[in-house]
Amino acid sequence: MAGMSTEQLAAFVRQIFPRLDQLSYYDLLGVPSGSDQATVRTAFYRLAGDLHPDRYHTLADHDLKEQLEMIYSRVCEGYRVLTTPEKRAAYERALNQGKKRLTATDRESHAPQNPEDSLRHPEAKKFFRMGMICLGRKDWKGAIMNFNFARTFEPTATLIAQKLAEAQAALGKPGGAGGTPHKTP
Amino acid sequence: MAVVGIDLGTTNSVVATVRGGQVVVVPTSQGGYLHPSVVSFSPDGLRYFSVDAVARRILDPKNTVYSAKRLIGLPFRSDEVQKALVRLPYELREGNNEQAVFIGPDRTYTIPEVSGLLLGYLRQCAEMFLSDAVSAAVITVPATFNDSQRRATVDAGRIAGVDVLRVLNEPTAAALAYGLGQNMSQRIAVYDFGGGTFDITILRVENDVFEVLATGGDTFLGGDDLDSSLLNILAELFNAEHGIDPRNDQAARSRLLIAAEQVKRHLSDFPEARGDLKNIAVGSSGEPLALRFHIARSVFETAIRGLVGRTIQACQDVLASAQLLPSQIDEVIMVGGTTRVPMVRAEVERYFGRPPRTDLNPDEVVAWGAAIQAENLANAGESLPSRAVLLDVTPRALGIAVTGGFAERIIDRNVPVPVEQTRIFSTSSNGQTSVRIQVCQGESRRFEENVPLGELELTGLQPARRGDVSIEVTFKVDTNGILRVRARDGATGAAREAAVNVRGAMSESEVAEAAERQKYEEPSDLPEIPEA
Repeated sequence: MAGMSTEQLAAFVRQIFPRLDQLSYYDLLGVPSGSDQATVRTAFYRLAGDLHPDRYHTLADHDLKEQLEMIYSRVCEGYRVLTTPEKRAAYERALNQGKKRLTATDRESHAPQNPEDSLRHPEAKKFFRMGMICLGRKDWKGAIMNFNFARTFEPTATLIAQKLAEAQAALGKPGGAGGTPHKTP
Repeated sequence: MAVVGIDLGTTNSVVATVRGGQVVVVPTSQGGYLHPSVVSFSPDGLRYFSVDAVARRILDPKNTVYSAKRLIGLPFRSDEVQKALVRLPYELREGNNEQAVFIGPDRTYTIPEVSGLLLGYLRQCAEMFLSDAVSAAVITVPATFNDSQRRATVDAGRIAGVDVLRVLNEPTAAALAYGLGQNMSQRIAVYDFGGGTFDITILRVENDVFEVLATGGDTFLGGDDLDSSLLNILAELFNAEHGIDPRNDQAARSRLLIAAEQVKRHLSDFPEARGDLKNIAVGSSGEPLALRFHIARSVFETAIRGLVGRTIQACQDVLASAQLLPSQIDEVIMVGGTTRVPMVRAEVERYFGRPPRTDLNPDEVVAWGAAIQAENLANAGESLPSRAVLLDVTPRALGIAVTGGFAERIIDRNVPVPVEQTRIFSTSSNGQTSVRIQVCQGESRRFEENVPLGELELTGLQPARRGDVSIEVTFKVDTNGILRVRARDGATGAAREAAVNVRGAMSESEVAEAAERQKYEEPSDLPEIPEA
């Protein structure tokens, strides 16, 4: 851990920060997917040595500092998820759905509240559920069709609109989330 | 300009700095290293600090504040403050924003103000000793301190005119001072039994990286409780002899408490303590009443067995949450004066199956670590050699209130900081244009079983049917363990940020005012140092 100079830090931030949401935890930590806990930890400790906020405590550039902290927070999050077996399993499922980050909703997919609980129309709920199943199978066209149906019954629900957009985005990307959901740098 | 590490303790505070690569501890005016955390406000307008204020706990108990750490950052009505209130001889009342404020002879003082006055004094001690201005400090807090307690500690620093570089967890500081884990990976338990609090923390240390794996403890268990046990023993003896319970008389109680503390220290080194305490209370015809006593260590140990047992129980809980067995711990570090009690050492050794490390002074080790970290931070710059990285975690889960009386968790317990998490919520009634976001800490699913921290309001939402408005709530905890909450109207996409009104905290303007006042009250009384 030699520590990075301000120029190196700035270059690092320019490279990583704009793509932060497109990087998986594996990408961020720089480890191959499927790495064991010890490998993940070693990688995290190395990164913490360079990126921990205490390392650039005296940095004058406020924006750079803020962005570094956001990157480092995400690195911590990745470390935490990849070294906690249940969270890691949930993350693998999320990755398969094309997500790069484990959010609370993914984490609590077993919680009593289902995503469609916020929908009020029974038909909307039914098609939404089917849409979600298609999404899980990476059947983007099926998902789009079902979400569109769901929307005809409950056109104002933002949840449906979000999922529809997600499916459309996945379809739009040739070989996108359906191909290799996570690649290692 | 020097930077210092300050262990701002419940009972005593320690100030240290790094000079020429060596840690030096700032002595008190009487030559010791423990600065009693006491501030006394005399009715004639004078103030007494630390060693000079201790005697005033007896002479003027109503105007002498100690154990302020038990009160800092907590709302007046909180259990902790109410519990402390019963024991404290000085008066507190509820001030602005649910704060506990001390009723001084001239005016009321918020608790961060009192701590700020003490910090200002400690800073001056350091400046005189170092012949250098002290501009910044790392201040340590128990790992179990919550967001508002940390915030209030930073406020105290600001009032004292000290730039708080970092709020550092005491156990992490202690581990840093021991400098373990060089070229190997070790699991370390830091058993910190101080004057007012008990903390147990498990760390993994590997090549200068200190990672907190789990932390827990009891914010209301410390050496003071051992003193109280001895106070009870002494009071019973006194009562048996004179038929008067000295605990009902504030002055008598204060005298006995000070004696109890001395007896405790004596019993750490000797199997029994004898003494003759004069002028404890006054008899019915005005005659002074004394107490002659003889207490065996075993009597004391019987009285404190339950208290020590609670620390071991806390160790079990924390190890369980880290999914570790006592035998998987490579080193146990003892911190805090209470670890000098032989029974405490014996019980820790029995539980972990290895003798604990006591080679560094348990009273000073936290300040040592704070000084090292202050030096690291002040010199954080380009291309320095490798230094310790401290990876701390959140002490409690953090969440918000949702319908049905539930708490929805946003950040888990024991996650590495800094951390940022966002969750999406919706409105609960039709046409709702504002939401009140109540923030709490704790692991319970029920909101009321957690500790409320504060709240913020998000207004100006587009009226819509219930459930159709999405509200993004983002929690961000920084390396100091301080929480920032942001609520965003998901529909308009417009970020509406609102500051959390933290319960029991001083407002920004109050802190600024107090800092200004302290500056004014202590006009450049720094001695000038002639050039060498």
